[in-house]
Amino acid sequence: MRSLLQFAALVAASLAIAVTCALSGASYYYSSQHGQGCSSCHEMAVYGAGMHGSAHRNGTCLDCHEASLATKLRHIRVHLTRTWPETIRLRESDVFAMTPNCQKCHQQEYASWHAGPHAATYTQIFTNAGQNSRQHLMDDCLRCHGAHFNGAVRDLVQPQNEQGPWRLVRSDLANQPTIPCQACHQVHSHGTPQTRPAARISVGDEPIPDSLAFYDRREGEHFAVAALALPVLHEGARMVSVSPDPRSALCYQCHAPRPPDTGTPAALNGWGSQAGSGDDRTPTGVHEGLSCLSCHGGHNQNARASCKNCHPRMSNCGLDVEKMDTTYADAKSPHNIHWAHCEDCHQHGIPARENAPASPLHGALAGN
Amino acid sequence: MKRINAVVVGAGAAGGIVAKELAVAGLSVVLLERGKWYTAHDCRKDDLRNQRTTLLGNAFGPEDEGNPRVWVDPQGDAHTALASEGAYQNNAACVGGGTLSYGAQAWRYMPQDFRMKSTYGAPAGSSLEDWPISYDDLEPFYEKAEYEIGISGDYSGTPFHGPRRRPLPMPSLPPNREFEILEPAARRLGLHPFHLPMARNSIAYNGRGPCMRCRWCCGFACEVDAKNGSQNTVIPVALNTGNCELRTECMVREILTDERGRARGVAYFDADGHLQEQLADLVVVSSCAAESARLLLNSKSRLFPNGLGNRYDQVGRNLQGHHYTGAIGYFDFETYDDLGPGASIAICDYNHGTPGLSGGGMLANEFIRLPIHMIDRLPPGTSSWGLAHKQAMRQWHKRSIVIMGPTQQIPSAEARVTLDPLVKDKWGLPVVRFSGNVHPHTFEIGEVQAQRAETWLKEAGAIHTSQMAGKPSLVSAGQHQAGTCRMGSDPRSSVVTPDCRLHDIDNVFVIDGSVHVTNGGFNPALTIMAVAYKASNALVRNWKGTAFRS
Amino acid sequence: MSSRGKTGTLTRRQLLSGAALGGVSLTIGCRLGRSSAWEFLSDEQARTLAALCDQVVPADDFPSASQAGVLDYIDRQLARVYRRHRAAYSDGLVRLDTLSRTRFGRGIAALSVDLQFQAVTAFAEQDKSFFELVRNHTLEGYYGSPRHGGNRDAVSWRMLGLAEPPIRGRAPYDLTKGSTS
Repeated sequence: MRSLLQFAALVAASLAIAVTCALSGASYYYSSQHGQGCSSCHEMAVYGAGMHGSAHRNGTCLDCHEASLATKLRHIRVHLTRTWPETIRLRESDVFAMTPNCQKCHQQEYASWHAGPHAATYTQIFTNAGQNSRQHLMDDCLRCHGAHFNGAVRDLVQPQNEQGPWRLVRSDLANQPTIPCQACHQVHSHGTPQTRPAARISVGDEPIPDSLAFYDRREGEHFAVAALALPVLHEGARMVSVSPDPRSALCYQCHAPRPPDTGTPAALNGWGSQAGSGDDRTPTGVHEGLSCLSCHGGHNQNARASCKNCHPRMSNCGLDVEKMDTTYADAKSPHNIHWAHCEDCHQHGIPARENAPASPLHGALAGN
Repeated sequence: MKRINAVVVGAGAAGGIVAKELAVAGLSVVLLERGKWYTAHDCRKDDLRNQRTTLLGNAFGPEDEGNPRVWVDPQGDAHTALASEGAYQNNAACVGGGTLSYGAQAWRYMPQDFRMKSTYGAPAGSSLEDWPISYDDLEPFYEKAEYEIGISGDYSGTPFHGPRRRPLPMPSLPPNREFEILEPAARRLGLHPFHLPMARNSIAYNGRGPCMRCRWCCGFACEVDAKNGSQNTVIPVALNTGNCELRTECMVREILTDERGRARGVAYFDADGHLQEQLADLVVVSSCAAESARLLLNSKSRLFPNGLGNRYDQVGRNLQGHHYTGAIGYFDFETYDDLGPGASIAICDYNHGTPGLSGGGMLANEFIRLPIHMIDRLPPGTSSWGLAHKQAMRQWHKRSIVIMGPTQQIPSAEARVTLDPLVKDKWGLPVVRFSGNVHPHTFEIGEVQAQRAETWLKEAGAIHTSQMAGKPSLVSAGQHQAGTCRMGSDPRSSVVTPDCRLHDIDNVFVIDGSVHVTNGGFNPALTIMAVAYKASNALVRNWKGTAFRS
Repeated sequence: MSSRGKTGTLTRRQLLSGAALGGVSLTIGCRLGRSSAWEFLSDEQARTLAALCDQVVPADDFPSASQAGVLDYIDRQLARVYRRHRAAYSDGLVRLDTLSRTRFGRGIAALSVDLQFQAVTAFAEQDKSFFELVRNHTLEGYYGSPRHGGNRDAVSWRMLGLAEPPIRGRAPYDLTKGSTS
């Protein structure tokens, strides 16, 4: 009996020592080198180096990355057994764990994003009865909604039919955003630290930061906006003037036009991709040439307030710009602000230039 | 394990159709597949790892490890091949088989393709034969395949095809730039160009949307599910009947026979490596030419010491694929518009009727070229490395067109699959051993086809051209593999009856490309599907519960 | 107390203390023993290989092979799919360096670009099969998918004028019409 007690005590003591060692060892490892100790393993070196050159260089790895004891021990096992993947990437859960950490510093951006449509959750997107009874669920949905989800659409939502009711197979994702910060931002990118959080994404003449980048689900990589293409678009046979703003290339990855569909006039005449096809909303007509970001904010996409940036409170026709019907949801509406043409309002012909109000902008557009 | 009506070995082009037809007719079916059921997510458009470019492995199976094959060179030396190497002659190992990742050209063979021997006579040393069935026998089943699988295209530009009762169910995709360049050139040459048929949605069809025209098609699974294979058409229908169970990662070891010489089921290794027996009233082998032959040869017993159906040493012979030849043309203007799938225009003027040649083949522009495909296709004389190579890549990647086609292959009885006496796979089963070569007349046809492709490119304005017509020293099989269990009425010179049943055993069927007597001058997928529909139809008609109506 | 229970305890204890030791020794050991930034290559091999790869794809107004990450590609594959080529690389890189030292008095990494070109030209003649292997792997890395470490940011595809990722609208199936929306 005595020996049994002794043995139990010994076991308990050694367990306690082991746990302490494990905790302190792992914690020391992670907190060493000013919080960037984890990048001293060579497989992590390149990521540490990326962080060193980024706007976040003054932070530590653990400011953004979650590292529970279990995670730390897993890292150690992977390192010792040399079983890290060919390309080390954030896992799905890492991405979601990071969002609150972004919020800690970028509060305005977070609030703005959270109030906008791009913060829609997995429940909102994938169990939407109106959507699912109209269109089939498919893997390609995940290209934009849920780019970080690690699986196929059938692993995410069931049943895969048009009757429903639909439920998330992965109920843990119910309230996670389908377009998290990392969908449009890469953190380990070249940049300089700012002394205080930016009030807004400022552009002006500053170079576009590499942190603005599209997460391509297929490659599992971010592509900085400077590397992204802008579309070549047509309205009928006419080539549309597309804004050269590189930031809008990010929007075009999801709000993308389609090649001409079989049987359409564009296909029969060989006109090329049409503005407004698919999910594209490139402006044609009076707003042609404007960038998405001329009107839409980067984090909150509400554009209502932006009309006043260019127009006086009353429009050229005497309409109150804040009350104009500028529906965007219906692509065919003549009020759709993306492709309002002069003749949509001027149904009896466009007034001659000398009669036009003395607005240099209006004059320039009418002269086009 | 419950005894069932039918066990189908292989969930590819044919196996999926057989499973669906039997399950819909009310038979209980187990569909066994050695590979996995992949989704587009499992292999996301990797230029170096797909089923067409396998530098870093096969995306859709089999894995390099544990699945060797052996090939014998012209000197008689045997070599082991990894699954991702060309000599392996791989198709795929997954639900959908080759149809998950194929380019999806969906051709009917021509009436003459079923009567090759009576049309041309057999060249000396060849095993050229007529099919025991005709184009007209198969026509209703071609049509059924076209409508159930979903084919787009437009034959109206060409008179060179067999009679059809109905047009294709979908129009062709809008033409790409190569089509616009090649079409007038072909017409100037007096040829009949047209939009080639493809198992790809050009409009919404069968519950799935149209092709998004991406760059990654042939060799890749479609991420918008617009490419039609058995995995997204017939197999889901089979499973929805409730009569069919799909078991993946199951490798069949042998077909079990009873003392009366009838099959009683199969023995297979399940996903955990455990040996299982699935008893069934009938066994359907649909594992593609190499593996179907291997399974029959591996199913040895006292009554069948040389394997099933192999009484006259016919199993594994007449292996054929397609000898691909053609030409590449280089242009001083851009020919590339980044609109997939790329292959868009074909001519069938040269499939038959050239004096001195026993057949010919279809010619078409190639699938969209990824940069990795171009590194060894620069104009002859270009340095293979250095600044000159880099600049040539820039110069020519968007300014070149490849026209190629599958040459009608003249079969040879010596081109064959046997079992390797030494090498075994990870389950301990003897592996496929390839030997022999195609009949040399095939190369003569191929050379003429390459010249024709070059002429077409020159007419289209190519400033340089280069023919592509090699003489491989190894039998061709690959993704178009066929012929190893030839269909015929004489048990001494064939393996299965015209209804795809083994001559020897009334409840074992081989239904896949193995039964093709000749392989046409076309991609074989649609013919494999039509044969599967026809054989399933006969099977269901003759079925009466647990045996067959006599 | 049965010996079975004891084994179980010990195993857990071993596990935990092993992990702790691992954690501590990693912090120390890795910093001391960090001989190479690569998975398979040594730093010296990497310098030699970079010189060779950069002759296969030199820099012009677009990056060279090593600038685009081709060394990452080759190194990662030598630790994985291309394990079978490890010996070829180890031996071949020594032969390249020997050739360079014999003819030019220095390792190839230390030569000027012009001399590197001469060295690689000679090497391509002398050591055809190894050169072909490296040439193929370099071009795979440079023109293949970015996820494997080469072709960083899809730079070679942009050089060829290919948009990456391509802009492609979705193709939904509209159940209400039986066609696309």
